[in-house]
Amino acid sequence: MPGMQFPYPRKSSTPSPYTSARASSYTRRRTLKALAPYILGGVSLLWLLIWLFSGSSTSSTYRPPGTPEVVIVTTIDPKLSESYKKNIKENRQDYASRHGYATFFPNTTDYDLMPNSPESWSTIPALRHAMTKWPHTPWLFYLTGTALIMNPAQSLQDMVLEPRKLESLMITDKPVVPPDSVIKTFSHLRGERVDFVLTQDREGLAGGSLLIRTGDWAKFFLDAWYDPLYRSYNFQKAEGHALEHIVQWHGTILAKLALVPQRILNSYTRDTGSGNGDGLYQEGDFVANFHGCHRDQSRNCEEEMGPLMTRWRELRDQERRK
Amino acid sequence: MSRASDATANALSNNHIHHRDTSPPRTVSGSAVERGYIEEEREGGGARNGYGYSRGRLTTEPMSLDHSPSPRQAGGWESPGLNSPFDQDHTVAGIGNGRARSPAIQPRKGYGELNGGAGVTWANAKANSARVNGYPSHSSQNQGFFGRHYRKMSQSLPAYFSHGGQEDRFAEKEKLGRGRSSGGGSWGDLPRRLGLLVSRRRKWVALVVMVVMALMLWYREPLRYAYRRTSWLGGGSKFVVILAANQGGGVMEWKGPREWAIERDSVKNKKKYVANWGYELEIVDMSTKKRYAHEWRESWEKVDVIRNAMKKYPGAEWFWWLDLNTFIMEPHTSLQSHIFNDLATTTYRDINIHNPLHIQHPPNGTSGDPNAPQYANYLDPISLSATGDNKPESINLVVPQDCGGFNLGSFFVRRSVWTDRLLDAWWDPVFYEQKHMEWEHKEQDALEYVYTNQPWIRPHVGFISQRLVNAFPNGACGDDLGTPDQGCRFPLTTPAGHLEENVRRECGVQGIHYQEKERDFLVNMAGCEWGRDCWGEMYAFRQLSYKLNRGWWERQKDAFTQWRKPKEDGKTEGGNGGGEGEGEGR
Repeated sequence: MPGMQFPYPRKSSTPSPYTSARASSYTRRRTLKALAPYILGGVSLLWLLIWLFSGSSTSSTYRPPGTPEVVIVTTIDPKLSESYKKNIKENRQDYASRHGYATFFPNTTDYDLMPNSPESWSTIPALRHAMTKWPHTPWLFYLTGTALIMNPAQSLQDMVLEPRKLESLMITDKPVVPPDSVIKTFSHLRGERVDFVLTQDREGLAGGSLLIRTGDWAKFFLDAWYDPLYRSYNFQKAEGHALEHIVQWHGTILAKLALVPQRILNSYTRDTGSGNGDGLYQEGDFVANFHGCHRDQSRNCEEEMGPLMTRWRELRDQERRK
Repeated sequence: MSRASDATANALSNNHIHHRDTSPPRTVSGSAVERGYIEEEREGGGARNGYGYSRGRLTTEPMSLDHSPSPRQAGGWESPGLNSPFDQDHTVAGIGNGRARSPAIQPRKGYGELNGGAGVTWANAKANSARVNGYPSHSSQNQGFFGRHYRKMSQSLPAYFSHGGQEDRFAEKEKLGRGRSSGGGSWGDLPRRLGLLVSRRRKWVALVVMVVMALMLWYREPLRYAYRRTSWLGGGSKFVVILAANQGGGVMEWKGPREWAIERDSVKNKKKYVANWGYELEIVDMSTKKRYAHEWRESWEKVDVIRNAMKKYPGAEWFWWLDLNTFIMEPHTSLQSHIFNDLATTTYRDINIHNPLHIQHPPNGTSGDPNAPQYANYLDPISLSATGDNKPESINLVVPQDCGGFNLGSFFVRRSVWTDRLLDAWWDPVFYEQKHMEWEHKEQDALEYVYTNQPWIRPHVGFISQRLVNAFPNGACGDDLGTPDQGCRFPLTTPAGHLEENVRRECGVQGIHYQEKERDFLVNMAGCEWGRDCWGEMYAFRQLSYKLNRGWWERQKDAFTQWRKPKEDGKTEGGNGGGEGEGEGR
């Protein structure tokens, strides 16, 4: 200190506050400097944690344990014979129990369709209903009441839903409604982005067997499809034509659609129209759909289904014996 | 060797030695610049001033001292420590209470005695000025808060108090001090003293200058604009105002001068608003878009326009549709503070709060016929909830409701997947084929229809009081009912409730008409083309907005003109522009 060589009487009393202040500020700065990286690190870690946890809590990927991967939905006409209903349910339940899926069998009369609209429209509220009942289930599988699951060994994930598998199956850049719709399916679509898997038959989109990923898009899609003005419009094939309409008119629906070859999900037992038999059922196909047996007066679904129903039981029992 | 160069050389050597303490020794070239630089390092700008001054004195004024002042004259500079504080108190008044804690103070006293005698304030100032080259801390002690802290700051610089420098500084003082005299007038010294003042408190001065500069910059448009615009600061670029010009005006409808005037005023109003808050403005000419004329959907460009705007401004979040016949009455209100900072309270989800269309809400999945057998309700809890998930983030569409239902003259959509779907589902040929005779208001009716019939839409729609974003003038949607004398009991964000005095007034979410008293944000002269005077209304509201929002200066000017010419002014002000507007329009 400067005062050392000048022995003023008051010298000794004054320097202390300055030196102490100086020293304290200096050491404080030192400690601050030394601690800065740790404080910074701590704050950023805290931020990261908050960010991570807030992200995970709001994401919809959370699934309570025991949630089925798929819910199989089949609407059943209450006027059908009990044995028929029982067979259909048994067929789906067997498949569901093998892979841990759930089944849902609402009646076609359960929902308030508008007067004069065909009961086939009940498909849509049934799917919406299934979504309400299993809110965490990622996929819904709708299978019409005129179809049987013939090859229960493979799970839907392995068969179709796994994104890479789906990408390999996808029919790209083809008219949505054959043969000559100007609207074509997307040529580049990632499997993860697909929310709606469907097949085509000879006449158009085959709505007898379809897969929908649950979520906001599904709500939008089902509500839009079920709009009262479509129901009152008298589409010739009711919800089938309404589906073709919305898929072609609304880009947000087309963008989520993946078409797969018919025999993956929806083989027909009889050829409709004059085709070369691409979609005809062969032993080993996943589904056999007795398409049109319900609408056609000359056909009887239960009778037609008989042989394949027996075949399915045989296969099931064989497997059980193994 | 002249005196000047002598002093220079001395100062140089001094500086050189001084610097030994703080920094490695440097070679001194002897140039004034170098000197100034070195000085400046220690003392700041003031040092150079001081030096320059003393040099000037040296050359112009033949003062007597061409040798070092004798130790005896100076009062004991050979043994300063032995000199009593008493002397200092006497001779150098004002240099800190005689607490000479360092010998550097002594020469100053010496100058004072030499040049002007003891106790003279001027000499005192002189003595202070010696600190230009030296050590302000010595005399600034106990001079109030600033002084004390300043001392602390300078004390923390090690060079000042190192012993090595002491004696040299002493010598420097002597040499430089020789040239100083009290002969000059006090006015001539003013800049120097100012410079001193600045240098002594330079940290505070710097702070004040910085604050002043920041304020100046803040009030300059560009910086404020940039701040308000930046998405992570003001967030202005997240808002796009879409203004529809030439709406409904086709080939058949020629634009007269009044229509041009309306367009000019409306566009100017939006441009100013957008420029103030850093939003984007997209003016779309609806008359050129006739691509849907063959499909009965002339007014469906709205969807296309919003889509295009979303594409054009990828950083924007909210898109505000505005019809041309609108006027922003309160341009100093930002959209953020007005609505979006608190979307949960400014909007309401439950349409039952104000339901002119009597839409069944929440939807229950049935046709609503009470005689129908009980059907299963297939909807999920959020769709069935009257208020959706209650999170403001899930609101993607903000629509006001007038007396007849949704009003799309002023509404907001947020960029989202949901919005994309809505814009897609909004128009469908099957709907329109069946309903185009019924749907007079086209897209507005269609939106009401999809809202009513497609449950996925409801949880993402927020309604907002008409008066918050879309107030009507008297005559649109019935007559203005006014507000109760004591004002509305509830803000616009709540239902007026059952309170008698509010129900039939423009209070709560039911309020529709513009209230000057409550400074409503925007006026939409909806339907003015059907039997009302669009331009007259536009002009009147423009004038009103100006009157309500004029600044302090304008108020003074207006008061002055009123005082000067009370009669003439009475005419123009009293008419409130309405009558005049018509005149101007024609």
